Amino acid sequence: MTKRKLALGAIVLVAAVAAVALAVGVTAGSAKSNGAFKAAWIYVGPYNDGGWSQAHDEGRLYVQKALGKAVQTTYKENIAVGAQFAQTVASLAAQGYKLIFATSYGYVTPQLAQKYPNVDFEQATGTYVGKNVSEYFGAAEDTVFLSGIAAGAAAKCNTIGFVVAYPIPEVIRHTNAFALGAQLAHPGIKVRIVWTNSWYDPAKEKKAAQSLHGAGACVLGQNVDSPSTGEYAESVGIPWVGYDSDAHQFAPKSWLTASVYNWGPYYLRRVKAAMGGSWKPGFYYGTIADGFTKLAPYGKGVDTKARQLIAKQWMRLKKNRGAEFTGPLYDQSGKLRVPKGKKLTVSQLYSMNWLVKGVIGSPKG
Amino acid sequence: MRLTVERRLEQPRWLGLVVPVVSVVFALLVAALVLLATGHDPLSSYRQLFDAAFLSTGSIDQTLIAATPLAFTGLAAAAAFRMRVFNIGAEGQLYLGAIVAAAAGLYLGGRGGASPGVIAAMVVAGAGGGAAWAAIPGVLRAFFRTSEILTSLMLNYVAGYLLTYLIFQSESYWRQTTGFNAKVFPTGKPLPSNAVWPPWLLHAQGGIDLPLGAGIALLAALALWVLYRRTRFGFEVQVLGDSEGAARYAGVRTRRKILAVMAISGALAGIGGASQVGDFAHALDGDPNGLQKQGYGYSGIVVAALGRYNPFAVLLIAFLIGGLDNAGNTLQGANFPSGLVGVIQGIILFSALGGELLVRHRPRVVRRASVAEATPLPGAVQ
Amino acid sequence: MNNALLVVLIASGVAYGTPLLYGALGELLAERSGVLNLGVEGMMLVGAVMAFWTVQKVTGSSALALVLGVLVAAFSGAVMAAIHAFLVVTLRASQIVSGLALTIFAGAVGLSSYLGSDLNLADKPAAHTFHAIFPASMQGWPIVGPIVFGQNPLVYASWVCVIAVGYYLARTRPGLSVRAVGESPGAADAMGIDVVKYRYVHTIVGGAFAGVAGSTFTLALTPQWVNGITGGAGWIAIALVIFAFWRAELCLVGAYFFGALQALAPELQARNISLGPTELWTNSTPYVATVVVLVLVSWRGAARRLGAPASLGVPYVREEG
Repeated sequence: MTKRKLALGAIVLVAAVAAVALAVGVTAGSAKSNGAFKAAWIYVGPYNDGGWSQAHDEGRLYVQKALGKAVQTTYKENIAVGAQFAQTVASLAAQGYKLIFATSYGYVTPQLAQKYPNVDFEQATGTYVGKNVSEYFGAAEDTVFLSGIAAGAAAKCNTIGFVVAYPIPEVIRHTNAFALGAQLAHPGIKVRIVWTNSWYDPAKEKKAAQSLHGAGACVLGQNVDSPSTGEYAESVGIPWVGYDSDAHQFAPKSWLTASVYNWGPYYLRRVKAAMGGSWKPGFYYGTIADGFTKLAPYGKGVDTKARQLIAKQWMRLKKNRGAEFTGPLYDQSGKLRVPKGKKLTVSQLYSMNWLVKGVIGSPKG
Repeated sequence: MRLTVERRLEQPRWLGLVVPVVSVVFALLVAALVLLATGHDPLSSYRQLFDAAFLSTGSIDQTLIAATPLAFTGLAAAAAFRMRVFNIGAEGQLYLGAIVAAAAGLYLGGRGGASPGVIAAMVVAGAGGGAAWAAIPGVLRAFFRTSEILTSLMLNYVAGYLLTYLIFQSESYWRQTTGFNAKVFPTGKPLPSNAVWPPWLLHAQGGIDLPLGAGIALLAALALWVLYRRTRFGFEVQVLGDSEGAARYAGVRTRRKILAVMAISGALAGIGGASQVGDFAHALDGDPNGLQKQGYGYSGIVVAALGRYNPFAVLLIAFLIGGLDNAGNTLQGANFPSGLVGVIQGIILFSALGGELLVRHRPRVVRRASVAEATPLPGAVQ
Repeated sequence: MNNALLVVLIASGVAYGTPLLYGALGELLAERSGVLNLGVEGMMLVGAVMAFWTVQKVTGSSALALVLGVLVAAFSGAVMAAIHAFLVVTLRASQIVSGLALTIFAGAVGLSSYLGSDLNLADKPAAHTFHAIFPASMQGWPIVGPIVFGQNPLVYASWVCVIAVGYYLARTRPGLSVRAVGESPGAADAMGIDVVKYRYVHTIVGGAFAGVAGSTFTLALTPQWVNGITGGAGWIAIALVIFAFWRAELCLVGAYFFGALQALAPELQARNISLGPTELWTNSTPYVATVVVLVLVSWRGAARRLGAPASLGVPYVREEG
């Protein structure tokens, strides 16, 4: 009997202490608002993945640095599409965050946005624009095209290997842009692709790179997020074009360049607009001209001739976004897809499901 | 000198309540030390945890959303584990339930049926899909004596690849093919409105949305409890779980029981999958970064074990773990590495596991002695 | 000749199967003593991150850094396994749940992720990696060149481990004792074998192997750190033990089989060979194959003859034994 009373007493005591501690914590910590504008970024992968999510986080840090104490930023990483995203938004909204950058397709649904009318959402790579939902992405295909030129110029044989993720339009148009660039610098060159069916899988990407090299590729490129392809390229001494980040430290000798996103300036503009009350939803498609996409610094493998060619094309694309997709363009079966002189619209780019002539591999995966 | 545990001669009921509470408190103390060591304020973190899980506006809604699938997979694990049939395949059975239920919803809803009928069909379809997937390891265990632990685990992977294939790698019935969005990124076909499961609005704390799936889980828990505690079937299941030899001696048909229990377990997980489609996603979610990243099936096993396979305790634990998961999303951020969330959750689980044992066993320090000496005589005064 | 599909697949199978082999050997030892440890993935990740941290921090010769890296990985895995051992051997908790809790605690959303971000390990390649040690001329020899001589030291060490573990279990006194513990702890106890000690030691050593398996990723295969870099290899290793009938030498065959299957899809794509929904069936095949083997093994009680420890998963309780 005594033991039972002792135990019960202990429980009550512990519970009481806990309750007091929590209560104190609540009252002491709740009045924490300091007038700063709160903006949050939500990532589908780790914030330091050296690729997609990290580039967004660098944009966030750019904003934090520029605005200092006037803004309070945070990020959430490894958030799955669906319920987990909804939970994260709910807690951010409850904590007073007014602007949320959702950096993966499928995050923001109309129903979710309607639930939080006082929060503004920015969805990357998506298509839905609503009262409080804005879309943003950019013409990375232009800089991927330029990086393709570097690859083509560095190729001493007739095949480039390209490691790709999912057979979706975004990846397909980047593949096409890369191939067109390579063909410009090295007419007749072929681009052989291998799908990994994952945005980030170092082991699979390395294996894909190995297979492509075995199939005769003497330059490697990628549209996936890890530097595995580059590490492999370095180990066998062939040039490498990266993607999404400046990863030259992973392959100092092989590194050529990469198409990188520069999210910072766009983020700063939007945060400022939201702070000032002038935020409006829209569909932003960034370009070379406004600094949204650019090339990472060149490696030693990019010779002068290639740099000049890239510079010339840079100027052309700066004035005319998407010019690399000007006809005549043929698909893999030889059918004319874009007539001479015509250019693909953004909408056509967003739904691209065919590969250009010279790409070896299936657009279906 | 060695620390060991020995079975208690009697298990006072208060112990069943006290020990879990003390375990969690102990875990929070240990986690607080970890937080301090890594430079975070434990009190503020715990306050945020509690707040995000239960207190702040809309938190209960989110906790319920997290808890509903856990309730189903927890019940699924409890139903099977109680008979020592270790169904690790709730994850895959949930996917199959989602696939079949989505097909039912798309087809029947598209034909313009009345909403209750369509929803009921989805529940049945989900149960069927999950049960069928669970029948595979069930048959293999019942007739070939193959370990269900590994067969069900392997089938989880196959189910995941199938789910991704249906949306990402094929133009299947489940895939959205019309409209501009469909061309941009692979998504599931949205359910027609008469197939969407309506939540029930509770008027408390500013309005709580109780997902229909949560209500179904409650009924399922009740049904499972009645089945296992009040029917002959359930009695035999419990005997088989406690002592297979005794059961066989008593003439219990083991093979049929194994099949039945696996089917029930799979059906429960499958309804969880149907709930995912009808309550939340309103389409089949084949995105590898979506449903497949959540691991509801595996968390359900933890929930069931902590609830000691009692259906109602499972519901409660599912709610608490759902709250913990939900709160973890809140806690992580620029100032709180997401890895620490998993560490805290792990500490809580370890502690609860360890504590749970103390309900049935008491710790003792024994001197290294012969077997005979170490075994206390029954009824001996302690 | 060395570019033939079969040769490439086997060579890749060896390379990518090595972490699976280490993980399986460790789990094999634990399971032989009757302890199921489902936390292999978590232990691998902790081993991977700690090995990576070691090579980034240690200055000096490459060999020193790499050896230290492997040792640190083994130690980290062992510590993780010790937690599991304490819970399931002393506290007699459910082995399944404890293993799963260990995966949560140490895995991609837990300790390994925390260590990776706290120690700032992402974004740089490993400062030292294992390379092939035979000269390029030998690597070029037909067939055996890429398969045998093109591998890194961890692969060769794994072969030694396979022989060692196999010999240990079949020919040594403690090896036979641990098999007794796994088959019937009560009988082993009555014979004077310290069941508790055997279970602890084998579970912890199993963890060490898992840690080394993790280091294979970050020091050899994919010498970088990112959250969850093992990509589920731990779960495959668990399946592999069953697939191999709890025998060390069959673990090697199975590991290379699984590794080759992982390499199959990219190879077929690069060679422009299409086999329908390749990804779906090549991804599923290892798992389906495991199930088929399991069925064959367990048919009519064959399981007992072919190696499944009878007490696997059951806590040993002396009074009830």
